[in-house]
Amino acid sequence: MRSGNSCRGLMLAVLTVFPAVTLADGSVVDKVYHPYVEQLEWELEWRAVQEHNPPGSAAQRQATHRVGLGRAVSEFVFAEAYLVGREGSDSGFTIDAWELEALWQLSEQGEYLLDYGLLFELEKYRHEEIWEYSTTLLLERELGRFSATANLGVIYEWGDDIEDEFETAAALQARYRHSPLLEPALELYLGEDTRALGPMLLGMARLGSRQALRWEAGVVWGLDATTADYTLRAVLEYEF
Amino acid sequence: MKRAQQWACAVLCGLAAAMVQARTPVFELEIRDHLFIPEEIVIPANTKVKLVVINHDVTPEEFESYELNREKVILGGSKANIFIGPLAPGVYPFFGEFNPRTAQGRVVVE
Repeated sequence: MRSGNSCRGLMLAVLTVFPAVTLADGSVVDKVYHPYVEQLEWELEWRAVQEHNPPGSAAQRQATHRVGLGRAVSEFVFAEAYLVGREGSDSGFTIDAWELEALWQLSEQGEYLLDYGLLFELEKYRHEEIWEYSTTLLLERELGRFSATANLGVIYEWGDDIEDEFETAAALQARYRHSPLLEPALELYLGEDTRALGPMLLGMARLGSRQALRWEAGVVWGLDATTADYTLRAVLEYEF
Repeated sequence: MKRAQQWACAVLCGLAAAMVQARTPVFELEIRDHLFIPEEIVIPANTKVKLVVINHDVTPEEFESYELNREKVILGGSKANIFIGPLAPGVYPFFGEFNPRTAQGRVVVE
């Protein structure tokens, strides 16, 4: 692939930057991204993360919902826009942010030792002057029926209502491709206020020609006092 | 000095990847009238291979196989590279998602 060699230098540069920044604060439990784009695909997505007893919050439960519409804009680039809503056990649901993201597939699947891609995300809170931008390196390796995926992100937060800072976040997933409908996985999330590990179930049901429903559901448990006791995570994606 | 070592390592990795790619066996698969031709491709076991899929139709087709863990759209009148393996001996079916009733095939690993 044309961009393959230049990407190796980029990977090195991103990894070199990592030790110079702090880990991400707040929960970093979310979706684990895979470094692939399916050309011509549209996607309607809902995903939710619900934290139970998150430290630093009076709420017993805190949930974040994302609804997004995405489209492959080329063979190797997928773009998606989200509305982000949040609710707590002591507050109602509000749509309080929007988010744009672009996933760039940088190698053909199976071409090199690792498949790799980049994810760019920009989030803006509606009622506060808070911006967040992240670049995440996506790596995946197929080992027989197992697939191992890593998301290594560098995040920059800025604005009048937040302290400007760089942060890092990591998410790791080991997945067993048992069948299209059922793939068990184990996920690990690492950030400044997140150390969480837990099982996931993933799957895909074909609804017809060029239509499929993908789903993910699971729970990760906090491994230290700075992480919520447990976090539920779910994704539904309608691909067409 | 450390940075120079990192770049040297990256260059060596790139060269190694290029050498590996140069040795990758290449197999050709055509799409005509919503059919995969040939229907069966025999490849060696425990060897990574490159499938060059050429779509002669004017409409797009998607090479899809859960068993091979691959999904790739090939636009009409274009071609795509799909890397598969190394695989254990066996039969790995694939199909065209745009025309699943006609576009079917299998990779036989021996």
